[in-house]
Amino acid sequence: MKHLFWICCFSALTGVVFGAVAKGTKRHRLIYGLKVFAEFVLAALVLGWLLYFLPFR
Amino acid sequence: MAGKQIADSREAQTPQAAWLIGIAAWALPGAGHLIQRRWARGLLLGGAVWTMFLTGLWLGGHLFTVTSKDQGLAALLQLLPMSANVGAGLLYVICWITNTGFAEHAQIVTYEYGNTFLLVAGLLNYLAMLDAFDIAAGRKQ
Repeated sequence: MKHLFWICCFSALTGVVFGAVAKGTKRHRLIYGLKVFAEFVLAALVLGWLLYFLPFR
Repeated sequence: MAGKQIADSREAQTPQAAWLIGIAAWALPGAGHLIQRRWARGLLLGGAVWTMFLTGLWLGGHLFTVTSKDQGLAALLQLLPMSANVGAGLLYVICWITNTGFAEHAQIVTYEYGNTFLLVAGLLNYLAMLDAFDIAAGRKQ
């Protein structure tokens, strides 16, 4: 849970910056920021599960 | 046609203030927008970069630097993450002067998260810096 929390923090802060520097109306930038947040969290979860099945040990 | 190109190139000249604002934006995250009275954007960008940098330090991450011990490829491997860290501006410089955050704490569980937060804080500030520069140069609203 701690990992998920820090991933969400990272994604939220990154989404804020990406949304703030994006072009377009406020609404478009808000949607873009939320999209960046969701994509980061989703990518981390997918990669996490992929790595879980790889036999590193 | 040639006359139009000359007129365009004149218009494309960057005002000197834009460079100063770019430097201010790098030195103090969020300052570039606040100087231009872009309060909301400045607070959002500055707040995000400051939070990310301080959280990175708190999580036990470490800042990269090139020392005289690093030679050849080792120096290059340090240079790339260092250039990302330097993006945090004076935050990095203050840490360097006070020797804060340069020690490695690999035993801490959140060490890698801390590193990532510190690296990305610098990179995001480069983005914020470019945004402030573009606004000052009149290329962006």
